[in-house]
Amino acid sequence: MASTPRIVVVGGGSTGAGVARDLAMRGADVTLVEQGNLTHGTTGRMHGLLHSGGRYAVSDQKSARECIEENRVLRDIASHCVEMTGGMFVKRPEDSDSYFEEKLQGCADCDIPAEVISGERAREREPHLATDVDKAISVPDGAVDPFRLVVANAASAQEHGARIETHSKVTDLLVESGEIVGVEVEHGAKSGDRVHGVQSGRETIRADHVVNATGAWAGRIGDMADLDVAVRPSKGVMTIMNVRQVDTVINRCRPKGDADIIVPHETTAILGTTDEEVEDPEDYPEEQWEVDQMIETLSELVPMLADARSIRSFWGVRPLYEPPEVGSEDPTDITRDYFLLDHEERDGLPGMTTIVGGKFTTYRMMGEEIADHVVSKFGMDADCRTADVSLPGSEEFSVLRDYMDEFGLRSPIGRRSVERLGSRAEEVLGTGEPNPVLCNCEGVTRAEVRDAISQAGADLNGTRIRTRASMGNCQGGFCIHRLAGELHPEFDEATVRDSWDDLLQERWKGQRHALWGNQLQQAMINYALHATTQNRDHDPATQPVDFAAFDSGPGSDRRLGSDTVGEAADGD
Amino acid sequence: MSDSADTPTEESFEPTEPNTGEEFEPVQVFPDEGTMDLRPGADSCTKCSTCDTNCPVAEVDDEFPGPKFQGPEQWRLKQTDDGDEFAIDDSIMDCSNCMRCDDACPSGVPLSQMHNEARGEYVDEQMSKLSTEYWRNRILANYRTSAWLASKVPRIANVAMNFGPARWVMEKTLGVTSEREFPAFATETFSEWWAAQGGAAGSRERARDARERRGEPLDADKKVAYFHGCYSEYNTPEVARALVRVYEHFGYEIVVPEQGCSGTPMFANGMLDDARRHAEVNVSSMADLVEEGYDAIASCTSCSLALRQEYPELFDIDGIEDVAENTFESIEYLRIHEDVRGALQDAEIEDELAEEFAYHAPCHARNQGLERQAVELFRDLDGVAVEDVGDSCSGISGTYGWKDEKYEKSMAIGEEMFDHMEDVESTTGMTECPTCSMQMEHGTGYDIRHPIELVAAALVE
Ligand SMILES: Cc1cc2nc3c(=O)[nH]c(=O)nc-3n(C[C@H](O)[C@H](O)[C@H](O)COP(=O)(O)OP(=O)(O)OC[C@H]3O[C@@H](n4cnc5c(N)ncnc54)[C@H](O)[C@@H]3O)c2cc1C
Ligand code: SF4
Ligand code: SF4
Repeated sequence: MASTPRIVVVGGGSTGAGVARDLAMRGADVTLVEQGNLTHGTTGRMHGLLHSGGRYAVSDQKSARECIEENRVLRDIASHCVEMTGGMFVKRPEDSDSYFEEKLQGCADCDIPAEVISGERAREREPHLATDVDKAISVPDGAVDPFRLVVANAASAQEHGARIETHSKVTDLLVESGEIVGVEVEHGAKSGDRVHGVQSGRETIRADHVVNATGAWAGRIGDMADLDVAVRPSKGVMTIMNVRQVDTVINRCRPKGDADIIVPHETTAILGTTDEEVEDPEDYPEEQWEVDQMIETLSELVPMLADARSIRSFWGVRPLYEPPEVGSEDPTDITRDYFLLDHEERDGLPGMTTIVGGKFTTYRMMGEEIADHVVSKFGMDADCRTADVSLPGSEEFSVLRDYMDEFGLRSPIGRRSVERLGSRAEEVLGTGEPNPVLCNCEGVTRAEVRDAISQAGADLNGTRIRTRASMGNCQGGFCIHRLAGELHPEFDEATVRDSWDDLLQERWKGQRHALWGNQLQQAMINYALHATTQNRDHDPATQPVDFAAFDSGPGSDRRLGSDTVGEAADGD
Repeated sequence: MSDSADTPTEESFEPTEPNTGEEFEPVQVFPDEGTMDLRPGADSCTKCSTCDTNCPVAEVDDEFPGPKFQGPEQWRLKQTDDGDEFAIDDSIMDCSNCMRCDDACPSGVPLSQMHNEARGEYVDEQMSKLSTEYWRNRILANYRTSAWLASKVPRIANVAMNFGPARWVMEKTLGVTSEREFPAFATETFSEWWAAQGGAAGSRERARDARERRGEPLDADKKVAYFHGCYSEYNTPEVARALVRVYEHFGYEIVVPEQGCSGTPMFANGMLDDARRHAEVNVSSMADLVEEGYDAIASCTSCSLALRQEYPELFDIDGIEDVAENTFESIEYLRIHEDVRGALQDAEIEDELAEEFAYHAPCHARNQGLERQAVELFRDLDGVAVEDVGDSCSGISGTYGWKDEKYEKSMAIGEEMFDHMEDVESTTGMTECPTCSMQMEHGTGYDIRHPIELVAAALVE
């Protein structure tokens, strides 16, 4: 097998996972390196819209065509990650009529099935739509779960022999005699199996070719070999509503604008988004007014949003790229297209290719193009099969069945589990063991959690993205301790505690931007629960406890130390 | 806008109302005809589980997932696509519709509305119309129809319905428990008696006499429309007669409009179409009267709850809101408008009703905030004592305890109430709900009265 090329893919987002799967299926020896967990970057912080292409049908027809093509492919190969909700571009009275016509024409030009429907029909489909919406274009938009899709791509890559390393950061590129020959990696130091793959320490991974799929971070990887990759990160905010106010994707039919899409996602609806250039993809301000403004603007389409409960908000950064000579002022003008930068051609430094820009919807196509490019360098003639072979979980399956009979699960819980697990449902749920629900909001059972832990190790965040546990209205307040409990006894107490704290923190971060009304009430209940039952307001277990200082009970002489508040305040 | 105190949702937040916006009116988004979208109702839920700890069924039945699951969780997880024959979990049929969860929830989650809608959908879409369960439930829910038939031949019915072999057959073929005795049918229905009293015209005369006696203006605006319900029509007309006497004593003119069943047993069995048919009759006759200045009163707390809460939650019928706003329970209404307690202070009970009463507050009374009314009302009445037997559920919940497979659970729930009743000196009980009264009698052998009967005994007789 001396001829098998060794490829290192840097970045565990949709692009990296897609490239890794493609190359592994073609027989390359692939290692994927990701600094966080899978989807740690932009992929885990996007809107979840499976574009029909309608959005780009006027401004960027090439992207629009790619979207509709990939939209069809993903429905097929990733059926358990996709919900074909359908979408509408709705027009309010103040929105331009001629743009509406342009949009319709654009869809026709790009072969996007589109149909004009009256405001009345639109409201029949979506009863919460504003009463003054006058008409709409219906398009095949859908909702896609980025976590499940990336995890399935990684799993498929692994099945084809790839090595997946999460919590492992590339700290340097190895350059030898004018060529990039590998990467320097620092593996995560967290205890236990929290790292998917090797734990702790540095490693040099030599490679015949490196694929830089680090999205908004691509410039930083470039810097390691003095390559100039001018990514212009642009942030966008998204707000998650507690329930689905709409069941189809609602787009505002007007030229590019902020806050113009609502995507129904699993049990929730996600509002988005904005577009504002930032300096640093990891450190940028997250401001409440962005959330407020978005809710306000989208209430023009769905009025009940103004008073509905939101459970969290999050921001993501787009890895926008344009060739330096274009020089757009406004980030919304930067193309959504992707670019493949062959550093040999471009900078005279062989051994690495960078892929930047693009969209989640077209991740597979990007993967195919870069894999074509890489294999051609090694004279391999393997064809791309990623459009034809279903992802693990997306083989034939039905969600309509008697869940109680088959899995002993209550109907809505069984249904949600089967939707998440797809064709893996029997394997995961049919354990024959008692299978209580651990996350009540999202209907996640112990069997599903254990299956996720077997993949993600002690990283509960990894279990979260696989199962949706802790992503419902209590935001983990009532289930994270149960999830943590499942890590024991395989992992020791310190690891469990660490992982439990991490997930609580992660959930708290997003809720900070939803603290009014019901979510504030929820946060207070979570706090009270955690303080009173888990001693989270002051945890003595993290410090050595002086047990000897405790009173040994009635009838004994020993008292608490004389400096205790109790004694001082007693006054007698 | 960065200050969260300025967020647009701030002012409209109301902790006891579903936080779904002023505009929120459930609409239909599910493909099956008639099911309302109650997903936004889940916005108010904080998962505190107070509802679960108050659910009497969950307390005795480990298999029952409880109101938090039945209500906000099931609705939030619910999907809109057609063709899922398992959309609603079948545990919804184990909820007794006691509505204690509704009352318990500190956040105003519309729990019983969620249960009722889900149950309706389950029965419509998922329950076989050929199953014994369906027909058994349908027969129990349409008690009015059977009662109407039986009332034509009350003496025969009383014997036949409780005839041993017949009951055995009913249990085996229909799943109606043979443990309980069917309530006796009165030989004269309330309506027959009412007609004999001269109906509304007779009532107006008697009310005028009373006003004169009481020194009130003859044309005082004291008009009520009485919703007697099925039970006091066919089984306990003495309750309805007592109500008439008491109200007329206080100078009220009574009308008894055309009416059907309140729908309570139909809601509990997911027979929303049946319930709607009856609701249409009730709302249409009550709405006209309300417009003329009448208030609606009911002597059964489940009937008043249905008109007040379930109707507007589940149906969209002309005038339904007006009827809901102007409906009261009979004791409640008197306490609002008359000094009944003062009158009772000067009265005394000497005859057979001079007793200690074991009073049970029905869950549906609790939901209307009426659970203390009887205890408070009779506190100063000489000759009687009213002892509250605690806040547990009686366990029968209308038709629930009549089902063979629910009978044991029903009795297990009632256990606490029976125990407390036994502690009371006498062997008389009191409650506003006819089915609670059946359960109280069944569990203890006590004789059970309605508070309005005691008011009548003290003030009128
Ligand atoms: C607000 C917003 C909304 C969007 N909505 C949509 C949408 O609805 N539909 C759609 O199709 N597209 C959408 N997109 C675009 C889409 O999310 C992105 O194009 C896509 O997710 C990019 O994936 P990626 O793999 O290229 O980048 P990323 O997901 O960012 O992956 C890069 C990975 O590289 C890792 N990495 C970085 N540096 C290192 C290092 N030194 N060592 C190891 N690993 C490293 C990062 O941790 C990260 O996980 C949206 C984007 C944004 C910002
Ligand atoms: S209505 Fe009663 S039985 Fe039904 S869930 Fe609520 S509390 Fe439980
Ligand atoms: S009592 Fe109300 S808020 Fe609490 S869990 Fe039940 S429905 Fe939710």
